[in-house]
Amino acid sequence: MPEPLVEPSIFSEAPDEAIRLAIRRVMDEQSVSDLEGLELDTVIVNMGPQHPSTHGVLRLVVTLDGELIRDVIPVIGYLHRCKEKLAEKRTYYQYIPIVDRTEYLASMNCEWGYVMTVEKLAGIRPTRRAEFIRVIVGELMRIASHQVAVGTFVADLSPLGTAMVFYAFRDREKILDLLEAVSGARMMFNYFRFGGVRFDLPDGWVEKCRHVLADLPQRIDEYENLVNDNAIFLQRCIGKGVITQQDVVDYAITGPNARASGVATDLRRTRPYSVYPELDFDICLGEHGDVYDRYKVRIDEMRQSVKIVSQCLDMLPKGPVQLGTLRAPYTLAPPPGSAYVGQENPRGEYGTYIVSDGSRYPYRLKFRDPCFINLQIFPKVLRGVKIADAIAISGSFDMVLGGIDR
Amino acid sequence: MDWGGIWSASEPFVRAVVAILIAYAVVFVAALVNILFERRTLAFMQDRLGPNRTGPQGAFQSIADAIKMMGKEDFSPAKADKILFTLAPLMVMIGAVSVQLVIPYTKGWTGQDLNVGLIYLVAITSFTVLSILVGGWASHNKYSLVGALRGGAQMVSYEIPMILALLVVGAIVGSWSLNAVVAWQQHYHWLVLYAPFTFLLFYIASIAELNRGPFDLPEGESELVAGYSTEYAAMRFGMFYLNEYAGMTIMSMIIVTLFFGGWEGPLADLLTVGGVALVPILWFVIKTYLLVFALVWVRLSLPRLQVDQLMSFAWKILIPLGLANIGVVAAIILWAPQWKLSLAAYGWVALLLFVGLFDRVLRWRLRRQRARQPKVTEGAVGIASSAAVSE
Repeated sequence: MPEPLVEPSIFSEAPDEAIRLAIRRVMDEQSVSDLEGLELDTVIVNMGPQHPSTHGVLRLVVTLDGELIRDVIPVIGYLHRCKEKLAEKRTYYQYIPIVDRTEYLASMNCEWGYVMTVEKLAGIRPTRRAEFIRVIVGELMRIASHQVAVGTFVADLSPLGTAMVFYAFRDREKILDLLEAVSGARMMFNYFRFGGVRFDLPDGWVEKCRHVLADLPQRIDEYENLVNDNAIFLQRCIGKGVITQQDVVDYAITGPNARASGVATDLRRTRPYSVYPELDFDICLGEHGDVYDRYKVRIDEMRQSVKIVSQCLDMLPKGPVQLGTLRAPYTLAPPPGSAYVGQENPRGEYGTYIVSDGSRYPYRLKFRDPCFINLQIFPKVLRGVKIADAIAISGSFDMVLGGIDR
Repeated sequence: MDWGGIWSASEPFVRAVVAILIAYAVVFVAALVNILFERRTLAFMQDRLGPNRTGPQGAFQSIADAIKMMGKEDFSPAKADKILFTLAPLMVMIGAVSVQLVIPYTKGWTGQDLNVGLIYLVAITSFTVLSILVGGWASHNKYSLVGALRGGAQMVSYEIPMILALLVVGAIVGSWSLNAVVAWQQHYHWLVLYAPFTFLLFYIASIAELNRGPFDLPEGESELVAGYSTEYAAMRFGMFYLNEYAGMTIMSMIIVTLFFGGWEGPLADLLTVGGVALVPILWFVIKTYLLVFALVWVRLSLPRLQVDQLMSFAWKILIPLGLANIGVVAAIILWAPQWKLSLAAYGWVALLLFVGLFDRVLRWRLRRQRARQPKVTEGAVGIASSAAVSE
């Protein structure tokens, strides 16, 4: 009798449902109903939740055939903190700092989306100066977020990337200093208020900001010089993990990942909010939709954000940064109804949907997180590539687990 | 008593003991120094400080790390093959220690001047791959296994271009002994001047042998967690770690001996104790550490290759080039008038051609590939294009 290649105990002792599912899929593929007949050239590997390059606690159950990936099952929920449920037990005002913690690399933008939704629900219009300040901090946050994205992506490819990470974080530090001067915090800002922002810009901040902005384009050039012309880097990026435009539509991919495939979806233009219609900037598009284009689009977007912030600093009007009429935001109770506002986060459309029953607490709150939606295409793009490619591809998607799990 | 007679009888024994002690000392000191050296150099290149708190300029950082490592729990996974799991970190040092037997550190000191030194080098340095394979297999971990298999395939593949380069050295010098290689270089000039292309081939292959970036696939941290050493903790891991860093120095010592004149330098006979010249040790160390610096530099500046790229680089580029190189060198030595000059001319032309063309050809191919790659923007209907949005 030939020795069974997989002990039946592997199946019954599989630690959880995801691995059992992976085994089941292998069995279906080989159309065997019994583990005895299973060929063992496939290996099921658990990547994550503690893995150096899943950028958080994303877990991928990967079925390997040698170095080739046959199947991927993403498992999420390791960072679930009941963010949406928490909203139902807090007033609208109390919930602002919690929004920060959903997609923590772009907390300013997340707050912005939430605050805009509540404003739409309650019929509040923020002051004009506050609108400009919102754009400024939002775009600075976008630069900082893309710096992390690009730095960690290159770091996944090589020790060379460690240099990239340090260069990117060195420059991100300056942006965080600016945001700290504005809000008092470096990561969880709690800065947006209904009808405005919490503090006005401190004295001399505009000059400081201009100083940082003048420096940034050179820094971005520096990132590009480091890797763009490197043949090994290009070899690992070009033509890998292609997403077609049909995929973008089918999977509702948004943000830089969609723009890298040439789909011009940018809510700042397609569904404009705040003062974006008055500003001059381009939507950065890729042509091939591969790993390299996703990296390149982010680099280009940093340049565009620098342009936007400079314009805002020039156009910055005088006036209050909060509505004088809204005396007690704590007791804000929007009329019954629901509102959805999509906001262009560094990773895509960050939508906030709120249902109000007229009380001081949201009846239901739901986030449409770009990372969560973009993650859905993982099994499709990762199937059939090598492990090393998979790392490059998953790095190029720029996942933030705080957003996915909420 | 006949002290002289006793000394002459026991001298080989004493020398052997001292040679062994030196071999171990070099491995451990080199590892500790290199770890710090690399961390500080990388920090310098990456615009940060690096470890600078433990002792002056962080000098004791590695020692502190070593003490920490020894103090950790000696852990082994439940399903690991206990014997092999223990054996692998014990074996890993064999290569680094015993290869020093044939290296002439200075004038008048070689552990044992084997007349097959060059072959011994290749044979003994491949012990590392054995312990990587054994360790990866015994860990009962899939990451370890993939890392070990990658390591095995890589080191076996890159050994061939390395041997091909060594054959050239042997052909030029006319001997397999490392002392003869150094003596030859003293008589003429450094071998790197005659055979720069061979040196390049050897250097690339030796980086791959060391499992260092851009060839650090066996432990590619972003893919395989820590590769073959994933399940190792405490001093078992420490042995792998020490070996990797000691390997930098050992390999640089070999390269210095083969191509950069070994211990050769000015004032060789200034200070001599018991027939062993001391000043050349300094030159040897300086040359070695310049090469170690180059290793760190290369690691920082190049992204990691992929497995298929790594293999095709070895089998499709390095090995054919190595074979062609051997043929040309042999022909020149046999038939060319003034063969040393012709050899140097050929070597430099080949080097410049390789360095100048390789990257360009690679990038040209990538550009062509990029141009041929289908654009996803074409042929899609009913999806917002840039023209529709710009109003």
